[in-house]
Amino acid sequence: MTAAGKRFSVYGLVALVAVTLFYSCSASLTNVEVDKKKTVALIVRMKHGDYWRTVKLGAEMAAKEYERNLNFYAPDYEEDAQRQMELVHQAIADGSETIVVAPSDEQVLREAIKLTRERAIPILVLDTDGKDSAVKSYIGTDNYDMGKKAFEKMVYLIGKKGQIALLGTNRVKENAKRREQGVLDLLPREMQVELVANENVPSDKKQIGEWTRELIRKHPQLKGVIALDATTAIGVAEEMENSGLRDNVKIVAIDSPLEVLEYLQEGIISATIIQKPLSMGYLGVKYAVEASDGEAVPSLVDTGTKVIDRENMFWSENQKLLFPFVK
Amino acid sequence: MKRLLAVIKVKGIQFIITTSFTLVTVLVMLFVGVMLYGKFAQTAEQNAYLHTQQILEQVKYNLDSYLNGMTQIFELVDDKIRRSKGLTSDKLSEQLETILETRKDIVSIAVFTRDGTLLATTPSKVLRNNTRLTEQSWFQKAIEDPTNLSFSLPHIQNLFKGEYTWVVSMSREILLHGPDEEIPAVLLVDVNFKEIDELCQRVGLGKKGYVYIIDLVGNIVYHPQQQLIYAGLKNENRSLPLKHSYGSYVEETQDEARLITIKTIDQLGWKIIGVSYMDEIVTTKKEISRFIFWLLIFVIVIVLFVLHYLSAKISRPIKLLERSMEKVEQGDFSESEPIRGSHEVEQLSLRFHLMVAKVRELMHQIIREQEAKRKSELEVLQAQINPHFLYNTLNSVVRMVGNGKNEDVITTITSLSKLFRISLSRGKNIITVREELEHVRHYLIIQKMRYKQKFEYEIVVENEDEVLNCLTLKLLLQPIVENAIYHGIEHLADPGWIRIFAALIDGKVLLQVSDNGLGMSPDVLAQVKAGFYKSEEGSGVGIQNVQERIRLTFGEQYGLEIASEQEEGTIVRVWIPRQVAEERDRL
Repeated sequence: MTAAGKRFSVYGLVALVAVTLFYSCSASLTNVEVDKKKTVALIVRMKHGDYWRTVKLGAEMAAKEYERNLNFYAPDYEEDAQRQMELVHQAIADGSETIVVAPSDEQVLREAIKLTRERAIPILVLDTDGKDSAVKSYIGTDNYDMGKKAFEKMVYLIGKKGQIALLGTNRVKENAKRREQGVLDLLPREMQVELVANENVPSDKKQIGEWTRELIRKHPQLKGVIALDATTAIGVAEEMENSGLRDNVKIVAIDSPLEVLEYLQEGIISATIIQKPLSMGYLGVKYAVEASDGEAVPSLVDTGTKVIDRENMFWSENQKLLFPFVK
Repeated sequence: MKRLLAVIKVKGIQFIITTSFTLVTVLVMLFVGVMLYGKFAQTAEQNAYLHTQQILEQVKYNLDSYLNGMTQIFELVDDKIRRSKGLTSDKLSEQLETILETRKDIVSIAVFTRDGTLLATTPSKVLRNNTRLTEQSWFQKAIEDPTNLSFSLPHIQNLFKGEYTWVVSMSREILLHGPDEEIPAVLLVDVNFKEIDELCQRVGLGKKGYVYIIDLVGNIVYHPQQQLIYAGLKNENRSLPLKHSYGSYVEETQDEARLITIKTIDQLGWKIIGVSYMDEIVTTKKEISRFIFWLLIFVIVIVLFVLHYLSAKISRPIKLLERSMEKVEQGDFSESEPIRGSHEVEQLSLRFHLMVAKVRELMHQIIREQEAKRKSELEVLQAQINPHFLYNTLNSVVRMVGNGKNEDVITTITSLSKLFRISLSRGKNIITVREELEHVRHYLIIQKMRYKQKFEYEIVVENEDEVLNCLTLKLLLQPIVENAIYHGIEHLADPGWIRIFAALIDGKVLLQVSDNGLGMSPDVLAQVKAGFYKSEEGSGVGIQNVQERIRLTFGEQYGLEIASEQEEGTIVRVWIPRQVAEERDRL
């Protein structure tokens, strides 16, 4: 091969390499766009149930708006902290840019904080009170305020006078405790309202019925029951309906599963204080995105509550809150 | 910096070609790029507009046909009820069951009295308490406007026990066959909202864009973020869609620009609004501009390579040529390799090499000539004071003195002295023909003395005034005459003669020496002409010397002509240019 020929082939080679590079560059440009979409991990307490599905719905809305991938992790049962712990590990292993977690217990939260701190991943906490500085933002309902609202509604319903009872299952849980505190703190203001019972009832429906019967037997003058969670409210309402006391005893509930809403329309439950899980999910992801972009996010976000009674439950703005899913 | 500039050679062909072509390429590429970008961007934007329009048209078409289907079912139900004897007839409820079975998205069919009492329902379900149905919009519309079918906004149906379902209620007043007269009643057909919801959810406009539906007064029928709007986390500005029924509008807020496309379902007055984000359309533009940018870079790199190669190909042989010229400039005339390259450069190189070869040859010639000239001058110098001739002459003089021929002695010495005077002629090389003839005449006088009148001579000058003043080299004739005497006359038995003739012929000066001597054989003549023949005797200044001196001084066209015939004699013609001595020189 002559020197000129050699040089020519070198130039040809350079041109070929340039062409290949060019096309691979322009091809990879389009691929990178897809891969660049970062992932937000949302870890909640339970896979089923309207409450958590609504949280997920809100999170999906935010993910679409902020162009992120959303990975949803949830154990099959609400109390399965062990499984949730595994899911936290998995979410980290999946390369999430941010973790949004509604921890089942303190241990899960501590583990999540530890893992995210090691990798400098922002962590946000849903539906749980706390003050850890490692957590970018606590997003959830002000349970204390919820208790206060429930009490105020009850006072209004019984005409500021009479005996009331405070019931709840899982009273040991932080959220239920805060609600109770809200009620108890307002109690001294109402001189004519008497709290005759403040009980932790088991979560079994039948047992709740028995407890309720016992309560009414002991306190025939009972005017109202504040149920600190939906399960208790449903149990109490069923007993009231069966025992024909539906008009004598007012029930104020928390949250809005279908049974609560049905009792509400029937008039057995007088009012319920609802949370806003959709806002929780939406704001959780929104602030997660902002935190991972290095923006400042509020350390405490109250997603708000609303008092729903028979009067306003079918107002159009409440319909979407109470019935988030089109089935 | 200076060194860098020196390396680049701002004025070099390579630099000029590369920069100018790159500049042109960049300009052309920029122009093309801008044009392409403009065209592409415009097309992309138009496509986005058109795309949105088409999608909305599709949504509208689907909704329209869905609602039309529902209207038909409503009319069908109405028809069945009107034809049947009473609401409670088994046949009617069977027919209505069939309709419900075929259309899964119909939740319930119900008939109410004008005061809200349930008359009949399919499927048969228990009415809930606290429904407040008379306050609901579908009921009120049916009462207010009995003739037209009304569609409600999607809402939760709270009438019957079982699940709470999102429905769109179709309602109108109908007339029932009463016992006496026709009784007005309200027919309600509830359609599951799911179908419409899914239809709208499926529609995507770009990555973030969406479709929502409002009714005539701006209430939201469907919005993917309806809950967020109610929760106050989002806001949808509905002023534009309320103002317009059709068309595309760009809505600018401080954060973003959105393309709002509106279509109206005429039947209901519902407006379908498509929201697409301008930044996504702009993203397409950005992608195009990025592509064009990379294309530009790519082309420039390629062009640079090609230009580098091309310009090197052009300028390299020129540089080589320059280098070989430099070599010549420094005096190295040695032969070098011919340069390969473009045709022009090869020709240039070829011509240059030919030129160098010529110069080289000329230089050699000059050197040769200079050497010859110096040699012949040295010979002339010797001739001027030819000791042999002087010795012979003085010998003759001594003999004459011994014989008492004083007259002859005087003549000889006088001639000798004149001879030397002209010979030396103050070191000048060039003398007049007159002096040359004078010189040869004195030489002949001396030789005639020596050879005891063995020969006669005559000097004839034609056109004397002109010829005598012409310039000639000195000592041209003497060697010729010497040859004539030594080789021609000396061995001759008869008395000899030597004739010298000077004339102007054809603008040249002719000096001719002829004798009647022995002459030369053709062989000898040829040798003499070629300059090989060298006689042992004489002044040592040969014919060849004369010839060389004339040619070196006056040029090739001048010189000697020799003609000779054995036993007849020899004629030697000397041709020199006609150069007239200046007045001053003659003085």
